[in-house]
Amino acid sequence: MSAPRSLAALRRATAVNLGIGAGALSRALGKGGGTTVPGYLAERLDPGLLADLARALPGGCVAVSGTNGKTTTARILADALRLEGYEPIANREGSNLSRGLVTALIGASDRWGRPRFTERSIGVFELDEGTLPQVVARVAPRAVVLTNLLRDQLDRYFELDFLRHLWTTGLRLLAPSATLVVNADDPHLAHLAQELAGRALTFGVEDPGHLRPIMEHASDARRCPGCEHPLEYAGTFYAHLGHYACPACGWARPRPDLVAARVELGPEWSRFQVEGADRPALQLQVPLPGLHNVYNALAALAGAEALGVSEGSLVAAVGSVQGAFGRAEQLRLHGRDVVLALAKNPSGFNATLRWLEGAGYGSHLLLALNDAGPDGRDVSWIWDVDFEGLPRPEQVTCAGTRALDLALRVEYAGLGAPTIEEDPAAALWGSLGRVPEGGRLAVVATYTAMWSLRQALVRQGHLPEFWVEAGAPRGLAAARGE
Amino acid sequence: MRIAIGYLYPSVMSQYGDRGNVLTLCERSRRRGIEAEVVPLELGDPVDPDRVDVLLMGGGADTQQRLVAEDLVGTKGEGLRQAVEEGVALLAVCAGYQLLGHFYLAADGTRLPGVGIFDAHTVHRAAEIGARMESITAAGQVRAVGNVVVRREGMELVGFENHGGRTYLHPGAQPLGEVVVGRGNNGEDGTEGCVVAGAIGTYLHGPVLPKNPALADRLLASALGHRCGEVPPLHPLADAAEKAAHDVAVARALSGDRRSPVALRRRSGGARPWPGTERTARLSGPGARSARRHRPPG
Repeated sequence: MSAPRSLAALRRATAVNLGIGAGALSRALGKGGGTTVPGYLAERLDPGLLADLARALPGGCVAVSGTNGKTTTARILADALRLEGYEPIANREGSNLSRGLVTALIGASDRWGRPRFTERSIGVFELDEGTLPQVVARVAPRAVVLTNLLRDQLDRYFELDFLRHLWTTGLRLLAPSATLVVNADDPHLAHLAQELAGRALTFGVEDPGHLRPIMEHASDARRCPGCEHPLEYAGTFYAHLGHYACPACGWARPRPDLVAARVELGPEWSRFQVEGADRPALQLQVPLPGLHNVYNALAALAGAEALGVSEGSLVAAVGSVQGAFGRAEQLRLHGRDVVLALAKNPSGFNATLRWLEGAGYGSHLLLALNDAGPDGRDVSWIWDVDFEGLPRPEQVTCAGTRALDLALRVEYAGLGAPTIEEDPAAALWGSLGRVPEGGRLAVVATYTAMWSLRQALVRQGHLPEFWVEAGAPRGLAAARGE
Repeated sequence: MRIAIGYLYPSVMSQYGDRGNVLTLCERSRRRGIEAEVVPLELGDPVDPDRVDVLLMGGGADTQQRLVAEDLVGTKGEGLRQAVEEGVALLAVCAGYQLLGHFYLAADGTRLPGVGIFDAHTVHRAAEIGARMESITAAGQVRAVGNVVVRREGMELVGFENHGGRTYLHPGAQPLGEVVVGRGNNGEDGTEGCVVAGAIGTYLHGPVLPKNPALADRLLASALGHRCGEVPPLHPLADAAEKAAHDVAVARALSGDRRSPVALRRRSGGARPWPGTERTARLSGPGARSARRHRPPG
């Protein structure tokens, strides 16, 4: 291999090697999967790295963003592409800022930072909502999949309207040939796609049986994005996603290109029929519970369609998807069934509470709330969760750095005074001890609280480390072994 | 005994968990055997001072603030002013606090008229320095975001602030308290919030009432005073859980504050972006200096 000779090339090589070395070190020290540090260092040293590598991908790339569901959607999409014969390069570990993308990409480059892609390489990038606008112009995606836009971590994203404004501005830089894949049940996204007037593909749920006549308290899409008059909802499926129309200006939910109908929700799965104009109906079964996972599978399906992936690959990918980090992970601990669910915003928490109850996990709850950066430093949002009206559980244990805030919230909702145990791992063993043999415990935790819970389970051999399971180290291991 | 809680704009101005304030007043009433009725006051609904004993208003984004400002001027303003004069208790948080001052100059330079209950006005930091907010990072530099601890005679309040507006109290206006941790009204004069008779304006989310039971009881006492003509003694509640949550939040605020100034300096290359200088990467624009300070008219 001949070495490129220029200062820029040298800088790139230094950036890549520093990143890879730091990742290896992080792993060796047991500090984590090294999914962030390599990209962070490499990008600091060589800011052009991301654009150069991403644009060199022979299959181009697809970006997945939104408040909830982006990790699962991106996973299904990457699996479908792999089954289709592509070689996806993905930031599967949920490190979804630009540094996570760089980590994934330098895992598939040589020591000079030159891509070692094959002609079937394609990028599947999960992107943080705040990062999306800046990254779109740099990586020039072939398709952008937007799952939903909901109230989330306001200490980081400030105001939903502002984020929406940034998305609109950022997505104007999409290539005319690129497809915008959006959830038609989210008024903001449906309106965004029409405003941008590029190629768009929409998806939505059409099953009156699951349409609830209520709006969650945290709903943020109460007004027409065009004229600001209050929207009229026939009902909602999840968060503010539903069927809506504006009585003032006549704007309404567009008829989606891809529709999920005949939705059936099981305790550990969901099933639906995909319908669309000029296509035979398609049955899909997702081995993940809850209506939110119907949306995730549907979003992936629409994304796959935009990329020209065959139905067969998609069906297989949906059928074998596993819960991402802390997303409905189920395990058996000391004779009890335990489910782990990540919840970091009101709508996600509401959806989780709903399927937990439906799946018979409602009587023993361990709720863990931390206020570190990735959790959101502002814990106000727990008061936007609709705890009111839940059947009173036999046990609620509150854990995390803000266990006491959560305990007040739960008690004020009339669910009784919870047990408090700040350390999430200790709380897990404690609450498990209060579940009768053969019973069920549901664990709902914010990001870093879930991390410490999982680590405790990993140490005892109950769960694999999440980056091993995610198949992340392949690229880096290959780079190290070259 | 019963009280009526007027919940101002529940669907457009309850963005940061502020309904927790409503739930707290209900819970603390219930524990004392007082019946609390919640009266939602949406856009278009007038305020009848005889119908409510305490009014609660939360935060919202700039878009919602425009709608609410119109409604305040056209429909509710007169009723609100009269209510406060007649001794109705009031708690307005963040955007609600801003709109009950004299005016609010929004990020894009739009001037929204206020109700004038609080002798103060608010200018969005971006409008103040003529900055355009083109990314989350840029917006973060003009916003005050973080835990807050406020000292008030005999009371320590804790919450979380998240605002781009800076509020300036006019001469003689009484602040709610002085800032111990955080930025408060404007990050310059050490004041936080404003108090006029039974009305309290504040930047504290959290929400503020569950973890600050003394403040909740102050509002409750004023509400009962409005209902009964005199303030009956409120029997004390145990509040062990509330006080513990308060203490943990204060400890988190104090530990976070020790770290943040260093982190802020490092990010902005020496200059602290908020409050103070406008020397930050994407924060420059025409009129940056001339728009720096808007003094109240007169």
